[in-house]
Amino acid sequence: MFIDPRRCIGCRACVSACRECGTHKGHSMIFVDYLDRGHTTATMPTICMHCVEPTCALVCPADAIKVSEDGVVMTAMEPRCLDCRNCVNACPFGVPKYNTAMHLQMKCDLCFDRTAEGLKPMCASVCPTGALTYGRYEEIVPRRRGVRPVNVHVFGRQRVATRVYLMLPIEEDDLCVDETAEPSFRESWLDAQVENADKRNEF
Amino acid sequence: MKDEEWSSLATARVRALIIAAAASAALTALIYLGSRRLEHYDAALFGYTVASVIAFGAIIFRYAIWLRRPATRRYWLRGWQLFLDRKNLGRNLRSIVGTAFGNLVAQRFILRRSRTRWLMHALIMWGCIISAAITFPLVFGWIHFELEGARAYRAYLFGFPTVAVDGRSIVGWVIFHALDFTAIMVIAGCAIAIHRRLRDRGAIAMQQFALDFAPHLLLIAVSVSGLMLTVSSLWLGGYMYSFIALAHQALVIMTLFYLPFGKFFHIVQRPASIGVELYQNRGREMAQARCARCGAEFVAQAWLDDLKGVVRELGFDYRLKSGRTLQDYCPRCKRVMRGLAYAALAQRSGHD
Repeated sequence: MFIDPRRCIGCRACVSACRECGTHKGHSMIFVDYLDRGHTTATMPTICMHCVEPTCALVCPADAIKVSEDGVVMTAMEPRCLDCRNCVNACPFGVPKYNTAMHLQMKCDLCFDRTAEGLKPMCASVCPTGALTYGRYEEIVPRRRGVRPVNVHVFGRQRVATRVYLMLPIEEDDLCVDETAEPSFRESWLDAQVENADKRNEF
Repeated sequence: MKDEEWSSLATARVRALIIAAAASAALTALIYLGSRRLEHYDAALFGYTVASVIAFGAIIFRYAIWLRRPATRRYWLRGWQLFLDRKNLGRNLRSIVGTAFGNLVAQRFILRRSRTRWLMHALIMWGCIISAAITFPLVFGWIHFELEGARAYRAYLFGFPTVAVDGRSIVGWVIFHALDFTAIMVIAGCAIAIHRRLRDRGAIAMQQFALDFAPHLLLIAVSVSGLMLTVSSLWLGGYMYSFIALAHQALVIMTLFYLPFGKFFHIVQRPASIGVELYQNRGREMAQARCARCGAEFVAQAWLDDLKGVVRELGFDYRLKSGRTLQDYCPRCKRVMRGLAYAALAQRSGHD
């Protein structure tokens, strides 16, 4: 899976399509966040990056999050999930969602029901701009010029290797995420309107 | 794995093994004492007894290993610590009783997922619980029946006389056939589960035979063989009874040995949700963590501190330049911060 945020036009077709997936019926597991609506229309699509060493799975007290043979980090096993939300708050990408009433955690599993049959995940099958692309590395990469597929993020001091690729400018080796700005940050009014449920990843 | 980790794992396993052996020994002692020094113990059930004692030890071993996980250990200790807080003992008890009823008895959270799944789970769970409540005390010699008069059976619990039941009354018939009813419950529940697993596209994609089908097939096999014992004795004059009894015993023992693994482990693991919910309930009364970026309250500060401790213990270092850690940000801000970092790269290289 390859993500190129530069191509994202914020149409949210992926968000709607994600609800159609058989493994998390009716609930979208993809996020399209505005970066700063006061200044830019730029949007960031986020799906599970399927970490090689998933923090979500390791912080799960119930050992409910398993990794498939292909490296797909699965949704928590229903009989085990205790709804503690550790995975939700520990994930460096802010991906897992939870529902307390149903004692469920859910997350992007790359549409396991589809990819297991050789089909594209729902999001990649509807993305009109190729911001989300599913395919073999050797097929996709030669078609994208001026970008480099990178599967390493650095969050502060932590290096996180993932199985999903992010398309970066050709000269970059990884994406460093840090918060250098001090508390002077003021969220724009538009962004503050985002529902609290969305901030806490409730579905 | 490093040498230190190997040695720590080996120590944990030895410790778990000792706890498991002690638990098995304690159960054996209880069987000896509860059956009044084996006076009421039925030697024909020796196979079941040995399997139960071994399976009990295996479950305790698995549980002890499970508690070794950094997150599990931390919340297990925190749950007990909060529960034993004398100031809130009354409220904690109410919280625990409420959670135990809502989550473990009524299982409302499954009802919200689907009514059919709730029915399926209730049939299997109550079928198994009632069966276990009847069979284990009988196998261990903790309950036995004695004929009193012409047709009354008196039940003895740990050798003490309790109620007498008329063997030919409706109540007596229901009691003596209780395992037949529970077998039907289990078969019906498993049938619903298998039906769903054969039709639901999401379930078909995710399920594994050993994890999701084997437990249902085992439960059906145990229930059917149990019902066949009744059929053989009631209507077939005991035809092949000893063979069916042996097959039933083999299937039950297989099921008992499967308990510490896969799907069945949730039976002993799930009650931990009581401790988690207690922490969440108390957590709502504590100071809430505010996202370091947008200021939204997203989790109790104590819980977040514990989570950060677990993350550190696991060997991750999410400390940022500002001195905070990545977990100090709400999930949405983490996504936005990543987006901003990406946008800064794109701008720097002149793409936008």
